[in-house]
Amino acid sequence: MIKITDLEKYYATEEVRTIALNKLSFQVQEGEFVAVMGPSGCGKSTLLNILGLLDDPDGGSFIFNGIEVAGFNERKRADLRKHNIGFVFQSFNLIDELTVFENVELPLIYTGVKPAERKKRVDEVLEKMQIMHRRKHFPQQLSGGQQQRVAVARAVVNNPKLILADEPTGNLDSSNGNEVMDLLTELNEAGTTIIMVTHSEHDAKYSHRIIRMLDGQKVTENVLTEYKSKTLEV
Amino acid sequence: MLKNYFKIAFRNLWRHKGFSILNIGGLAVGMAAAFLIMLYVGFELSYDTMFPKKERIYMLVSDIKTPSDSYQIPVIDWSVLEKITPRFPEIETSTRIMDLSLSIQKGTENFQEKRSLAADSTFFQIFGIKLLKGNPNEALRAPLSLVLSETGARKYFGSENPIGKRLKIMNGEYTAQVTGVMEDLPHNTQIEADYLLSISTYTQIIDPSLDTSWANYEPRGYVLLAENTNTENLVSKINTYLDEVDGDKMKAANLFVKQDLELITDVYLHSTRIGNGSPNIGKVYIFSLIAVFILLIAGINFINLTTARSVERAKEVGIRKVVGAQKKQLMLQFVGESLIVTLLAFFLGIAIATLALPYFNALAGQTVASGIFINWSYIALFFGIALAMGLAAGTYPALVLSSFRPVSVLKGKFSTTRSGAFLRKGLVVGQFSLSIVLIIGTLVMYNQMHFMQNQDLGFVKDRLLILDTDNDPKQQLLSDHLKTNPNIISIGKASTVPGGGGNKSSALSLMENSQGQDQTLTADRYIIDENYLDQLDIKLLAGRNFSRELASDSTQAIIVNEKVVDLLGYANAEEAIGASFDQWGRNGQIIGVVENFHAESLKREIGPLSFVFDPKQSRLLTLKVAATDLSRTLNFVEDSWKQFLPNTRFEYYFLDEFFDRQYRSEQRFNNLFLSFAVLAIFISCLGLLGLASYSTKQRRREIGIRKIVGASVPGIVNLLSKEFIKLVGIAFLIAVPVAWFGMHKWLQDFAYRIELSWWIFALAGLLAIGIAMLTVSFQAIKAAIANPVKAIRTE
Repeated sequence: MIKITDLEKYYATEEVRTIALNKLSFQVQEGEFVAVMGPSGCGKSTLLNILGLLDDPDGGSFIFNGIEVAGFNERKRADLRKHNIGFVFQSFNLIDELTVFENVELPLIYTGVKPAERKKRVDEVLEKMQIMHRRKHFPQQLSGGQQQRVAVARAVVNNPKLILADEPTGNLDSSNGNEVMDLLTELNEAGTTIIMVTHSEHDAKYSHRIIRMLDGQKVTENVLTEYKSKTLEV
Repeated sequence: MLKNYFKIAFRNLWRHKGFSILNIGGLAVGMAAAFLIMLYVGFELSYDTMFPKKERIYMLVSDIKTPSDSYQIPVIDWSVLEKITPRFPEIETSTRIMDLSLSIQKGTENFQEKRSLAADSTFFQIFGIKLLKGNPNEALRAPLSLVLSETGARKYFGSENPIGKRLKIMNGEYTAQVTGVMEDLPHNTQIEADYLLSISTYTQIIDPSLDTSWANYEPRGYVLLAENTNTENLVSKINTYLDEVDGDKMKAANLFVKQDLELITDVYLHSTRIGNGSPNIGKVYIFSLIAVFILLIAGINFINLTTARSVERAKEVGIRKVVGAQKKQLMLQFVGESLIVTLLAFFLGIAIATLALPYFNALAGQTVASGIFINWSYIALFFGIALAMGLAAGTYPALVLSSFRPVSVLKGKFSTTRSGAFLRKGLVVGQFSLSIVLIIGTLVMYNQMHFMQNQDLGFVKDRLLILDTDNDPKQQLLSDHLKTNPNIISIGKASTVPGGGGNKSSALSLMENSQGQDQTLTADRYIIDENYLDQLDIKLLAGRNFSRELASDSTQAIIVNEKVVDLLGYANAEEAIGASFDQWGRNGQIIGVVENFHAESLKREIGPLSFVFDPKQSRLLTLKVAATDLSRTLNFVEDSWKQFLPNTRFEYYFLDEFFDRQYRSEQRFNNLFLSFAVLAIFISCLGLLGLASYSTKQRRREIGIRKIVGASVPGIVNLLSKEFIKLVGIAFLIAVPVAWFGMHKWLQDFAYRIELSWWIFALAGLLAIGIAMLTVSFQAIKAAIANPVKAIRTE
């Protein structure tokens, strides 16, 4: 599903040029759950932003679903993104002025889903995340765990093929954190590909494979569970 | 999608109430002010536009040249229209109009009706004013015909039909018959009146020589031209013809007249002949400019506050981008929000304008508009302006917001670009430049006013009580009785006083100049008695005052001012004594010369002036009163009046107040200007307040670190304020030359004016900086005393 080859990304300030990604290459199969680990500043988040089509690489190739997307303009990226990718952030990133329901509804609005259909799908996913009873609340009225469940609900409401999670448990206590990890595992088992950046060895164990990075390069790769792509099986 | 935008917009406005109040309130106040100014400008521009044939109505005016002087006057010779109207087919018809203050008796009471005119019978045909009762072609034909407005008819006859009824006019001397009732005339016209007297009353009864007199400039003249008349052509034909007819008289009198035509709708705005001083279009320009200034300032505020606030919206933008929003959609959202805000401000602005209208009318000294909704096109226009402002002011913040990079925004680290900060600073500089220009303008205007009111006028106007007896024959009895009161120090008689009370007239005079020739000049003419010069403390430079003992003084003597002496070419006042003169049938010698004094507003140069003597009859009684027991004295005067002149309305004024009334229009202009200047500055400060709060919020971390390493509170306040003071300083440098240029031009309208001294500019600068300091320091102090640890943790 994802194939990156010699991916490069630089950040230039006035005087210093920092290399964030240095000829990084790897592949992710459809349906796989991959954890990316590494110390702060190793390029994890940069990688996630490029994979999420929020940012454009400076060099190398990025094939998403068989299409070369490196060099896509903002509009094309936005279009691809809203139909295929869901995001979960450490800091939840919910819009404070919108209710739980409205936050989850947002991606459907941008993909042009009709109101009746939107309501049905949002209700479904809220039910699944067990926050239906909080649908009219605003984010500040919820606990951290609840907020992250809303964020996950928002990420999956569009049925994306890929979920990118950036330290999804970073702001949560361990029991809430485990709940979220269970949620992600369920989604993965239902067929969604997940790439997760994390500092936590505990969380990483939920994945099939851990990619460890340092200074913008891949250093090791441990396979926890041999994953056979369903498409290959067929 | 739209619903979502609205929801977000309103929830945002509600959550940040303070900010919303600042933003919407500032914009609404600005819009209300601009709207009121627009009503005012519309009112001024609508002068004389209500006449159906306004494109063809012209005012005939006169340019007079004598060897010593030239005059451009809005009036014509009594006989000129009769000469030219039948002669030129281009002139369909014409009318003379004379401003009157007509006294009309109702029962035993005498009313002085100031809204009165005398006009020819063609009046209704030319101006298309509707006659509700009576025949428009005949109503003003016969002498002593009187047409009343509906208001006038109601006042004298209630609900009765006034046609054919009789009214005593001119202190009971004549009886006029009501021949018509017309619709009430609006205020914004030169022919504003409630009472129209047939002008034949003057030309056939009061002074039958008027129609055949020459160079007797009193009435105004209006002509209705045929369609497609070439006015330039017509003017030159008229002047050629008048040269043929009156050429000999002109040569003999050494007085040369050229007529000219001014389109009636141009007269009020553009003519330099009417009123005192500059044409009214100047006011229109100045106020339009102020309205634009205020809208600009309010718009700049809006842009600045919205972009400043956008920092807090950054996260939302990031999230929306992540879940699939495109830049275009975000632009739409934020422009939409800005439209919502401007529309809210628009409705609030209309409400504010409605509430403020009565005060605005009072400030303007006239009913500019009876209601906000009198003209829907204004509302529509303003709605358009509000939309345009929403779009214009919303686009920039929308651009900034929608181009935030989601990656950095969601990480909480983003910095606004340098160009953004530069633009914001530029806008603040622009805003304050405009405000400082307005402050300087206000200061200059008040100084000029103060100067005019406190200038040595060359005469003393204090403690002079003027009684307008309207030539009541029992005036002498009243005067004799008043003398018995010890608090009335002296009593004089005069036709007019400085400032133009009573009957002011200008007389064409022949005087012997230093070469021994007769020279024509037009001098203001005061009929006075022997007490007048002493009462007003007008100084005699040479010769003597009038004397009751010399019978010849009332027929053969004249006193002139220095200006006349200069015009006649004499080296000094003494030399002019004994020079011969001829003025309105009076001839003899100059017996005295007085020092120049300001008989009129300081907007005007001191002109030639003459005094003639008539101890028996004059319109005004001038009473020099003691400063003590003023109200007792006034009561005594009123009681005596009622005793001796029971049929004449008690009309009195103090000369000092009366004289200052000449500056009323300037005073009003200044008050309006001041109000809007204060408003503009207030709105600028709202913007500055918002921006300061934004800037300090952005620098919270910096402030926290500085405090931790030892910065003091005053040090921090200074750090934060400095930046803004610098901006105001730059604004000052831009504003000074602009204001200097503008005010220099404005002052040209005044013959006697102040210098534009440096301290006015310095004071304006200090005021602006002071106001800015006050605004900014509030935020700065708040930031400086905050707990630094908290500030650092939030990062």
